[in-house]
Amino acid sequence: MDSQASQAEYDGDFGSGAIRPVAELRGVSKSFGEVLAAQDLTLRIEAGEFLSFLGPSGCGKTTALRMLAGFETPTSGEVLIDGERVNDLAPYRRPVNMVFQSYALFPHLSVADNVSYGLRQRRPRIERRTIQDKVTRALETVRLTGFEKRRIWEMSGGQQQRVALARAIVNEPKLLLLDEPLAALDRKLRKEMQIELQDLQRQLGITFVLVTHDQEEALSLSDRICVMRAGRIVQIGTPQDLYDNPQSRYVADFVGVSNFFDGAVFIDAGGRARLRLAGGLEFEGRAVGDLAAEGEACLSIRPEQIRLSREPLEGGLEVVVQNRIFLGEHTEYLVRHAVLGPVIALAPRQSEIGASGFVQGERAWIDWPDGAALIMRRI
Amino acid sequence: MTQRERNWLLVAPAAGWFLVMLVLPLSVVFIFSFGERGAAGGYVPAFTFEQYANLPARFTAFQNTLILAPLGTLAAMLIAYPLAYQLAVRTDPKWKTILLVLVIVPFWTSILIRSYAWIYILGGRGIPALIEAMGLGDVQLIYTPFAVLIGIVYGYLPLMVFPIYVSLDRLDKRLLEASSDLGAPPLATFFKVTVPLSIPGVATGCMLVFILLMGEFLIPLLLGGGKVFFVGNALVDLFLQSRNWAFGSAVAVMLIVIMLVTVTVYMRLIARLHTSRDDVSVM
Repeated sequence: MDSQASQAEYDGDFGSGAIRPVAELRGVSKSFGEVLAAQDLTLRIEAGEFLSFLGPSGCGKTTALRMLAGFETPTSGEVLIDGERVNDLAPYRRPVNMVFQSYALFPHLSVADNVSYGLRQRRPRIERRTIQDKVTRALETVRLTGFEKRRIWEMSGGQQQRVALARAIVNEPKLLLLDEPLAALDRKLRKEMQIELQDLQRQLGITFVLVTHDQEEALSLSDRICVMRAGRIVQIGTPQDLYDNPQSRYVADFVGVSNFFDGAVFIDAGGRARLRLAGGLEFEGRAVGDLAAEGEACLSIRPEQIRLSREPLEGGLEVVVQNRIFLGEHTEYLVRHAVLGPVIALAPRQSEIGASGFVQGERAWIDWPDGAALIMRRI
Repeated sequence: MTQRERNWLLVAPAAGWFLVMLVLPLSVVFIFSFGERGAAGGYVPAFTFEQYANLPARFTAFQNTLILAPLGTLAAMLIAYPLAYQLAVRTDPKWKTILLVLVIVPFWTSILIRSYAWIYILGGRGIPALIEAMGLGDVQLIYTPFAVLIGIVYGYLPLMVFPIYVSLDRLDKRLLEASSDLGAPPLATFFKVTVPLSIPGVATGCMLVFILLMGEFLIPLLLGGGKVFFVGNALVDLFLQSRNWAFGSAVAVMLIVIMLVTVTVYMRLIARLHTSRDDVSVM
């Protein structure tokens, strides 16, 4: 799509099959007193997608979610839901529902009453019969049939999580907001719930917006991830895009694992970007992000891109194996290069079957294929 | 020492205290209530129901107590709830402590002194003088049931504020957000989430105030001027003035019985309100 078309779509021309975003942030900032929690957030949330805000605590991801829910009013900028400006619309008037981090289920109500709470608030009133049917269906969806009369405190953490989901989806919101919904669950249950969340989203076709600090969760669930840092959006993209084309060290580091080597970037005679490291080492790499033509930068290489060999490699680097961690399908090696220092390399199981693998203190050589190294901003 | 012995050791001081200070005196009162008044007052051992038969003579005291104590409790609750709500939900945390201390400041002075202040305020040169000066006629405030009501609400308000404050303060504010998120306007959220979850605090406050009001005698004495007297006043009179210990004991036993019945019924009611909430509203 060319930029003109996307501009027209942005301005509200929904003709010619363009899809209107279900929600949108336009230059949204939020400050709490002196603290800038969110700065100039601009983002379109497409109907039916699964979008995640990813970042460490305090990066503004929860503030962004709470502005969509209506619990926080932006200091500047516009929040749009379904094409309408909702900056000053109270939460109870917005067609969105939220799953809270600690679920915030009503302890004085039964499971069924929790789930029907939203429907019972509707005016004009919904018929009892209809409410009952919808609640039954919602509980069926989250596999809690038969738990209608239970009290909240009689339910396990995973079950409470499902009640919270049912309480939100029963209202058929335009946008389902999830604030670290799986953080309180143990690892195994979290995996299960991740799969259920994904199934649920596909089944219902509701737009999901998830806030998480867990990169694995964001990668496995999302259609798109919005990486945040210190109140700003750093990069938005599909999980694969973020992994393969991180625009900064921050993203490369947060999404997956990578080796970083600091140095100075320059453009060689052939017009290719190269990074010069201390000790006279130089590497070619693909420059990504808004990188200055010269100056401080870093090289990023994913561990699985690094080839480890017993035989000297042409153009390779000589290293000493320091540590070996068997991870099942992979073996992770920590090797040390005289100049680069520690380097992590991931050897697939396949290449090691039958072989004993490298042992500690063994001499080895590493290299990586052309195009595997990225040159990027250091932050 | 076994666990069992250690448990006994831990409750021994309280058990001893309750035995000496509560069970024994109550037993004495119970026994006395079947006795007779001596010629020079006091108590003469006997076994007669005469004292209980005489109870209607103190009907007014019971009537006043049984009207004004619940009324005072209700009034105190209605005044305390918004105050506690404001303090717990709406006040900036850094002001909370100061404002809470202000609520209990009156306790730093004896209720006797404070009631005297009310005698002046409600007396001829206080509010009635002001009303007269405004040309609204002559009103009698002091020595009326209304004066007693004002006095007891004033005196017991802090006892009501605190339990309600605690239950509202403990209320998870995210529940209010969840309610709003689910489409409930503020008023609906208040009645569907805040109020039900603060019932334990309200129940405690009401119980506390009601029980103390049933035994109150100082405020009716000072602000009721002998015209509006409680059972407490009748007891003071019977034991200290007319020295009719037997009849006084019967009145005391009657008061205890009434209290046991009302408190039991009240607790049953609260418990039912609490557990049946979902059954009632389950679609």
